[in-house]
Formats: sequence, C-alpha cells, structure tokens
Amino acid sequence: MELFSEYFKKDNLFSRIDARVKLLAALTLLVMVLSYKGFAFPLLMALLCLFFCIKMRIPSRVFILRFSEPLFIAAVVLLLKFFFSGEDVLFSMNIMGARIAGHKDGLMDGLQIASRMLGAVSVVAVLGFSTPFTEFMAGLSWLRVPRGFIEILMFAYRYIFVLFEDAMVIYNAQKNRLGYSNVRRGLSSFGVLAGSLTLKAFEQSQNVTVSMVQRGYDGNMPALKHKPFRASEIVFSTLFLIVMGVAWSI
Amino acid sequence: MKIQNLKIRIQVFIPVLFGCFLFTGNAYAMHISEGILPWNWAALWFVVAAPFVAVGLHRLKKLSNTDLSFKPLVGLMAAVVFIISCMPIPVPTAGTCSHPCGTGMSGILLGPTISILITAVALLIQALFLAHGGLSTWGADIVSMGIMGSLAGFLTFRALRAIKINIPIAGFMAGLLADWATYITTSVELASGIKGDSPFMPLFWKILIAFIPTQLPLGILEGAMTAGMVVLLYKKRPDLLVKMRVLKPEEVAA
Repeated sequence: MELFSEYFKKDNLFSRIDARVKLLAALTLLVMVLSYKGFAFPLLMALLCLFFCIKMRIPSRVFILRFSEPLFIAAVVLLLKFFFSGEDVLFSMNIMGARIAGHKDGLMDGLQIASRMLGAVSVVAVLGFSTPFTEFMAGLSWLRVPRGFIEILMFAYRYIFVLFEDAMVIYNAQKNRLGYSNVRRGLSSFGVLAGSLTLKAFEQSQNVTVSMVQRGYDGNMPALKHKPFRASEIVFSTLFLIVMGVAWSI
Repeated sequence: MKIQNLKIRIQVFIPVLFGCFLFTGNAYAMHISEGILPWNWAALWFVVAAPFVAVGLHRLKKLSNTDLSFKPLVGLMAAVVFIISCMPIPVPTAGTCSHPCGTGMSGILLGPTISILITAVALLIQALFLAHGGLSTWGADIVSMGIMGSLAGFLTFRALRAIKINIPIAGFMAGLLADWATYITTSVELASGIKGDSPFMPLFWKILIAFIPTQLPLGILEGAMTAGMVVLLYKKRPDLLVKMRVLKPEEVAA
C-alpha cells in the first residue's frame, strides 16, 4: 500500500502539472517506446524518468519496490530470448550432454524487449508517482472515459484501503490461530478470508448506498470539473514531446 | 537412449527453471508486465477487450438504474478482487509466493460481464500504482484475467450446478478452471508478443511449461478459495446468493 502516491506525495514541479497534460504526454511517450525498433530510445526514456523520480524525491524503498518486479522479468526475458530463440549462434556449451547455445539475434531481440519494458514502466511510474488518484480520474473523465467506469474506479480506490485493513485483521487472526500451519488449513483459511471480504463488501455497499442517498445520491456521482489549461504547460509539454519525437525518429 | 532421455529432461527442465524465476518470487504471474508486448499486439488485445468492457458498462448502467446500491457493490467487489490478487500466498512446489486472481469468484457472483468490468478496474489501479501489469498491456490482461477467467469460472459453476454437483465442488472447479484458463491465455499472449520471427508453438509450449510450477498449485488454491467463499456465503447469507442469481430460491430452501 505504501506504493500508492498518497503515501509519499510531495509538492513538486511534476505534481503541479495538470493531470490531463501528464496523461496525454505519458500515453504519447508510451506509444513511442512501444513502437521503437531498437533499444536506444526506451533506455533514454528510462534514464530521463529516473532523473524525474530523483527530482521528485521518491523514497528509495518505494522506487526499488516499484521497479524490482519489471526489472527482474526484463532480465529473465532477455535470458529466455538469448538461450531459446534465434539462429545465429554466439557460443554454445554442453550441460550434462545437452547443448545450450546463446544466440546473437535472440540477444538483440531480448535487449529490445527488456529495454522496452524498462522504458514503458518508467513512463508509467512517473505518471503514477506524480498524479494523485482524484486528478487522474478527472483526466480520464476529460478523455471521455465512460462515467460509469470512472465511478467504479473511485468506489474501488476508496474501499481498497478499508477492505485491506479488514483483510489484514482477519489474516492475522487466522495466522495467530495457526490457520496457515499446513497447506490444508491454509487453503481453508484463505477461502474463509475471501468469503469474509466478499460479505463485508456486500454489507458495506448497502451502508454506503444508504448514507449516500441521504446526501442526495441519485445513482450518479457529481461530474468532475476541470480547470482551464495553462498555456505554459501546453507549450512546455509540446516542446518536450517534439524533442522526444526527434530522438525517436533518429 | 539414456543420454537422449537426459537431454529431453534438461531441455524441459531449463525452461521450467527460467519460468520459476520469471513467473514466481512474489510473481504477479497473471499480469503481463508493462512494455513486454509490441504496440501492434498490445493494440490487438485492446480491440479484443473493448467490446466486452462496453457490454459490462451497458449492463452496469441497466442494473444500477433499478438498484442504487449496485455501483457501490461493483466498486467494492473490484476492491476485493484487487486485494485478493495482491495477496502473496506461499506456493510450496515453487518454494516462493504467488497470488490468485479472484475473477472466477467475481464471475460466479456478479456474472461474467460485470466481472470483466471489475477486473478492468482492479487491473488499471494495479498498473498505475503498483506496476503489476501495465497500461500498454491492460487490454491483454483484461482478456486473460477478465474475459477468460470470468467466463471460465461462471460457465463451469453454472454447468456443474445444472447437473446437480454440490456447491463446494462446483465452486472449486470454477476457481480452478478460471485460473488455468487465465494462465493458458496469458501464455498465448506472451508467446505471440515476444516470439519475434521465431515460430509461435515452441515458445508457447515453453511458456506454458514454465507456468506449471506455480499455476498448478495456484489453480488448486484459487479453487479452494472460490469454494470457501461460496460455502461461507451459502452458510451465512444464502439470501445474497439468491439475490445475485447464483442459486435458485428452492436450492437455498433445500
């Protein structure tokens, strides 16, 4: 839960930029990273985003947690492609009679995928680190994402933290009573945990509806309002994207 | 002959070993990581997922017009799916942790169309704030976890109940098949996305084999979890199961 930007959000240059501008810029950069043939541009993006994260003073623990999984998967995809894909043999060795070969074309493919992952994860990480959830919702609403979807997102985000606390209380109570002492008991306890959470979700939804109706809820949440765009943000982000576009085309 | 067998074993073992690293270790095996798919494959999966999400939204609008508590309920169920799919569970065979996906469970309770919507919501929050899955792979993840997982869970449960199989077994099989349908689809998506110029099938089999150490036990875990959830609801709040049209009133009375 500490990965959510609300837990470490600081007032900085990036958090002050309009969420719509950040969202559009991030989506454009994501398309550039995914469509690039090679690994120079995605790595450039990764480095740039690393710099942005340092400027935003993202706690190192959060940063490591956020990147550890994609980095690990990128490394293994690289190895998978190097050893099990391609035809141009770079070297080969025998392990207990089986021939294992590293391929040059596999290595290049693997590097491309790994760098693409790194670049794409970095772009989305900067977006996530710098944008509070409510502003992100306003951005999605401006992009004409259906209102029903945004309302569900808002309900879900609000109750993740509530239900997570409930889940941890149930989990710790089960653990203290040796609910996970062996596989059979663990399976049974986890089923009860999932069922209890579902029950809580049902009950909570009824209570929430009653309290919202008392406050005038008619089945639709109030529309999210947008501030006007700032000219400086538009100019700066357009220039930034043009520079990135030039780097992409080289 | 022995050497031949040994070679075959090693050729199977090494991808499995890679798979253990790739898809385990607090792995979020069901989620395809950000950037792993090239743009054309990422776009294709978005196109496949979009009509299902649209149908889900249409059904949400229809149902929430008659029941004001339906939108909060769907939002809360999305939170439950989010939490369940973030919960690290030990997988003894792989010596590490993984997580269930919870879509079979939501498919049984709310139907496949709403369950797809729930998965889309949970996946978007995970992609944005936890780096599980991604924005570019959101479509692919919706197809594997949302569409395939929910449909497999829902159809299995309904089919088994139709032939009078008892609730715990129907719940278990629904969870199990939802998990395995998700992992087979994820294998197809991964193999097609990263194959490059290589043939599809060999890579697909390698990825499928690589998933086995976690997904076989995880499917059982998912099955047990789904069965536990349905049984708990049946014991404590059978009225809810009737309201959600999971069971008929006469089944509860019996």
